[in-house]
Amino acid sequence: MGKKILVVEDDKFLRELISRKLSGEGFEVLEAFDGEEGIKKIKAEKPALVLLDLILPGIDGFEVLLKIREDPNVAQTPVIILSNLGQREEVEKGLKLGAVDYLIKAHFTPGEIVEKIKNALK
Amino acid sequence: MNQSQKKNHSLREPEIISERDIRLAILNILEDSEEAKRIAGDERDKTKAIINNLADGLIILNGENRVFLINPQAERLLRVRREEIEGEGLQSLDRYSSLKRLAGLLVSKKELFREELLLPEPKKLVLEVTTTTLPRREEKIVILRDISREKLIERMKTEFVSFAAHQLRAPLSEIKWALEMFLEGDLGKMTEEQQDFLEKTYQSNERMILLVNDLLDVTRIEEGRYLYKPTLADIKEITQSAIDLYKGGIQKKKIKFEFKKPKEKLPEVLVDLEKIKLVIDNLLSNAIKYTPDGGKVTVSISRGKKEIEFSIKDTGIGIPKDQKEKVFSKFFRGTNVLKTGVEGTGLGLFITKNIVEAHEGKIWFESEEGKGTTFFFTLPIPGNLTVGE
Repeated sequence: MGKKILVVEDDKFLRELISRKLSGEGFEVLEAFDGEEGIKKIKAEKPALVLLDLILPGIDGFEVLLKIREDPNVAQTPVIILSNLGQREEVEKGLKLGAVDYLIKAHFTPGEIVEKIKNALK
Repeated sequence: MNQSQKKNHSLREPEIISERDIRLAILNILEDSEEAKRIAGDERDKTKAIINNLADGLIILNGENRVFLINPQAERLLRVRREEIEGEGLQSLDRYSSLKRLAGLLVSKKELFREELLLPEPKKLVLEVTTTTLPRREEKIVILRDISREKLIERMKTEFVSFAAHQLRAPLSEIKWALEMFLEGDLGKMTEEQQDFLEKTYQSNERMILLVNDLLDVTRIEEGRYLYKPTLADIKEITQSAIDLYKGGIQKKKIKFEFKKPKEKLPEVLVDLEKIKLVIDNLLSNAIKYTPDGGKVTVSISRGKKEIEFSIKDTGIGIPKDQKEKVFSKFFRGTNVLKTGVEGTGLGLFITKNIVEAHEGKIWFESEEGKGTTFFFTLPIPGNLTVGE
């Protein structure tokens, strides 16, 4: 089995697409549809990397990032933000909170996202 | 009239004037002046009725900036009462916040034309202020128009476009991702024809993404929250990296490309990096797009006394003479461009101009249809780094 990737994304079809792409690439894919479930799965499953959407029902992506950093057991997990928001303020905030990369959904293809994940896991 | 006629008459033919004649003359004069008075009174009433019933607020200030007249609309808009301010100097009416703001605007320029005045208290009002000075009497007429509603609608429109564009991004991303997975063969092999059609669908979707991005940029400009943390940067480097992105397109169209830059290091300019990249990118993309194969594009950077000047010259299709005024307006596309079928949103130059001007720079162009276009923009050199010329 390949490395575990957690996809935190509330849009069902996007989640399906990226999961399909990742499993096709040999990763083990875990899914979470909101921030709360995301945090739970990060702590329980300790994925190798998290793909994190920012606008989520309830706890948003920024808060998820904060929560991960607060827990020493998972604080080192690399997180790639995958969002519709593309303003510099948001990108900077995400990177400041420790995300390894910030990808705007409409500007990247699943293939490019996989490349970014592979780079982050090197 | 009677009087002057009589006078003339008497000059020509001196004669003895009887007491009766004099009495008649005086009666005539009285009658005339009564008539004149009546006409004047009518005119005054008419003017007063017009002023009082104008939909716009109106104030007349005399030479010493004292309130000579104020109509009911202006009283309502400025929340003042005529009796309390008529005859008083505008400067001494500081106790009314509305008049204080108005006075501030009035001294800023000699004549105002549709300047906006914001009155935040107690209910937010936006007034459009226009003034004219009557030269002979040095009276100033101030016209106030309430444009609060127009402003509100404008804002709602911007918010709507912003909302719609944001909402469009999610499904567009889904379509992009799904199509790419088909094209990459993640979901099985396709025939060549299927591949070709999906490739074209993918390109259409990409155009839609660009359009949505442009629309979002426009709404950010309209909301006035556009520039982000300016940093010092070297315009030569920014330009070079933008050019590098177009290498493929330049080669494909066999365009002779030249980048003229001064050898010495240029002073850095204070810019929002992303936005200035967008400016150069837009201008480059236009020059390449609208220049036929085998044409020439020249980018130059030079240093002026207080600014850096950027120019990009192409041998493209040019801008029709009668459309030059509209080039920087939203959704503008030249009629000659539409015939070529080259894609575009018509938003690029609008965005470009707004970015340059937000940096206190200037942007302009020279163009001849069929021969080519040169776009110029300047960015101020910060501080007074003009030494060492």
